[in-house]
Amino acid sequence: MPDCGDVKALYSRRALLEAGLGIAGAIALCRSATALVAAPADAHGSTERRFFNASESRTVEAIVAQIIPTDETPGAREMGVARFIDHALAGFLAPLAGPFRAGLADFDTQYRSRNPAAEEFASLAPVRQVEWLRQVERTPFFASLQQLTVLGALTMPQYGGNRDGLGWQLIGFADEHAFAPPFGYYDRDYPGFGAEEPLR
Amino acid sequence: MTGRRYHDSTVVDFVVVGSGVAGGVIARELAIGGFSTVVLEQGPRLTAADFEHDELKYWFLAGITNDTARSPQTFRADPSAAAIPTGMRPALWYARTVGGSSTHFTANYWRFHEIDFVERSRLGSIAGTGFEDWPITYAELEPYYTKVDWDIGVSGLAGASPFDPPRSRPYPMPPLPVKSSGVLLERGARKLGLHPFPAPMAINSQSYRGRAPCIHCGFCHGFACEVQAKSSTLFNMIPEAEATGRCEVRANSYVVRIDTNARGRATGVAYFDANGRERFQKARAVVVSANGAETPRLLLASTSSQHPDGLANSSGLVGKYLMFNYAARVSAVFEHELNEFKSVQVTRVVHDFYDADPKRGFYGGGGIDARIGPQPAVWAQRLSTEGPAWGAAFKARLREFPRSMTLLCHGTSLPIATNSVSLDPTLRDAWGRSALRVTYKDHPDDLANARFLQDRAVEIMDAAGAQRVIRVPVREQNFSMHLLGTCRMGDNPGTSVTDRYHRTHDVRNLFLCDGSSLVTSGRGQPTMTIQALAFRAADHIARFARAGDI
Repeated sequence: MPDCGDVKALYSRRALLEAGLGIAGAIALCRSATALVAAPADAHGSTERRFFNASESRTVEAIVAQIIPTDETPGAREMGVARFIDHALAGFLAPLAGPFRAGLADFDTQYRSRNPAAEEFASLAPVRQVEWLRQVERTPFFASLQQLTVLGALTMPQYGGNRDGLGWQLIGFADEHAFAPPFGYYDRDYPGFGAEEPLR
Repeated sequence: MTGRRYHDSTVVDFVVVGSGVAGGVIARELAIGGFSTVVLEQGPRLTAADFEHDELKYWFLAGITNDTARSPQTFRADPSAAAIPTGMRPALWYARTVGGSSTHFTANYWRFHEIDFVERSRLGSIAGTGFEDWPITYAELEPYYTKVDWDIGVSGLAGASPFDPPRSRPYPMPPLPVKSSGVLLERGARKLGLHPFPAPMAINSQSYRGRAPCIHCGFCHGFACEVQAKSSTLFNMIPEAEATGRCEVRANSYVVRIDTNARGRATGVAYFDANGRERFQKARAVVVSANGAETPRLLLASTSSQHPDGLANSSGLVGKYLMFNYAARVSAVFEHELNEFKSVQVTRVVHDFYDADPKRGFYGGGGIDARIGPQPAVWAQRLSTEGPAWGAAFKARLREFPRSMTLLCHGTSLPIATNSVSLDPTLRDAWGRSALRVTYKDHPDDLANARFLQDRAVEIMDAAGAQRVIRVPVREQNFSMHLLGTCRMGDNPGTSVTDRYHRTHDVRNLFLCDGSSLVTSGRGQPTMTIQALAFRAADHIARFARAGDI
């Protein structure tokens, strides 16, 4: 099988079970085909939240901003990743909404129980956020959020993330309909099959 | 293109279940041969204009593939355990549209080698497996491989690989332009004394039979072609079948049962039409090319008092011997840009490790090709299995996309009876049918072979001057888009489901041809061989029909 066993992480049975969905829930994991069609509308038109409440939104925004941090170039925050996740969980990924919300609540509960006197996670200094995320980076919730962050950064802007193609800019992907050779550095001076001498 | 329309009650010569890799070929050949033919396809009919560069839709949201919301699957590695629903991703993935998986394939089109058909005789049996010779040889299939090259449309360079089996004609089109990944594979492999060669691809390198050449957009694997440059049956076999005026392709028609009469002959098939209404298409003979998952499922679901264990299942082997092909991965980063998101997936291949070698201590062999994987999001998700998954280090890794490539090592899978497709005892699909249950656990030799090939790939990338080489861990598989072996061909009715002509041993006018027909797994890239089998099957089926022997 080529190429895709590892993209399953987001949807893995184990992750869902650990997120409390259970077998019955996994059976009910039925996304509606119409939601897919409906989702892209109004992707960047408003800042309205569709799924998260204000507190959830701040936490998710803070976590994804550490997954792809902003440095001299834009990160997940500027790419609109949190909005992508918000739209997705209200739409085409609605079956994951319950477990995701539960995972987020767990994240919050754990954080507060270990840091009773501290401010909320989203208000921490970035270096403190990173410290805490290192504690939880192996949880299914974090893994799901990591995979969703990638989707939010790199799929088509019509789904609410990858604002202005910033994700594609980061990785150096050109969204063009057609290309012509040479495609890269190494095929530029290719002498033809069989013409290149073995390297010594 | 509008073909002929038949009424359900018309007894057509053939009903073909599935319009994909094999079904499209068989329908075209039978229609050209003068037979009235109805093709029933569970998915919709789309055109090139419907396809988009939308990774989320095609890779994550079942844009043109089987959708677990309507067609759930269960999976287990241990045949004694209960299988558990897979969630949004199916275990067995296939395109569900007219043209089937030929719409979204990578289009890697090497032929199986002569050894693939006689490996059991050469190497001996392997305990605990159903390792067998095929009932046919490469020589018998060669004319049909050539027919695939020319009728389907394959680009390549004949004679470029010293390991290639004999061929009667060159390729109809020259190879596609090499990509940087191909140059680097070629450079590294030659330095090691290996024999890289231009990849045979079912993608037009120039205009061919009315279809445009590739525009190098990069969206092949998992995507359908927007300019018809990919040689999908949707763009060649299906319209050619319809042009005969003898073939009707009925989309959104989900076949749920094959009926038989008191004499044990198939009378036609029951199916749900686009409106969810159950209908019945009568036919003199039935050809099932629904893929290696759905073909056995349909037979197992076609029970009757005469066939309590499913149709054509006197051997008990329908659904058994499921094979995936192991694909081990090595990622590499180079100093300069490759821009692998451009153009077709694969431009160079190495077959030096194709043959099994008992000295290695395990069965197996494989081919290694250069590519990057589908497109940005899938590539980036995969990074989390290769190293840092968040933070500055992850962002740095994301920036390496243009300088990255992958060597994919396509290996063997042994046929094991417990690896199977069966009917789930409780879970139902949206049509009320028993869901697909998948049982699969890689043979230890398959995993050892995957690691062996991965070691060779690491050597090649090192020799090519990679700055960094990353070995993606080889783990047991629970997902595949290669659906092979589940209704194997053979001469012995006790140990196979169909004979060498794809006729089921049990039902004289029922034929099966698709990935399910394979006896061994080859080394990946099965589509070329499935289509060669389909051209050959159609020849024989037409011969039987003319002789009144169906």
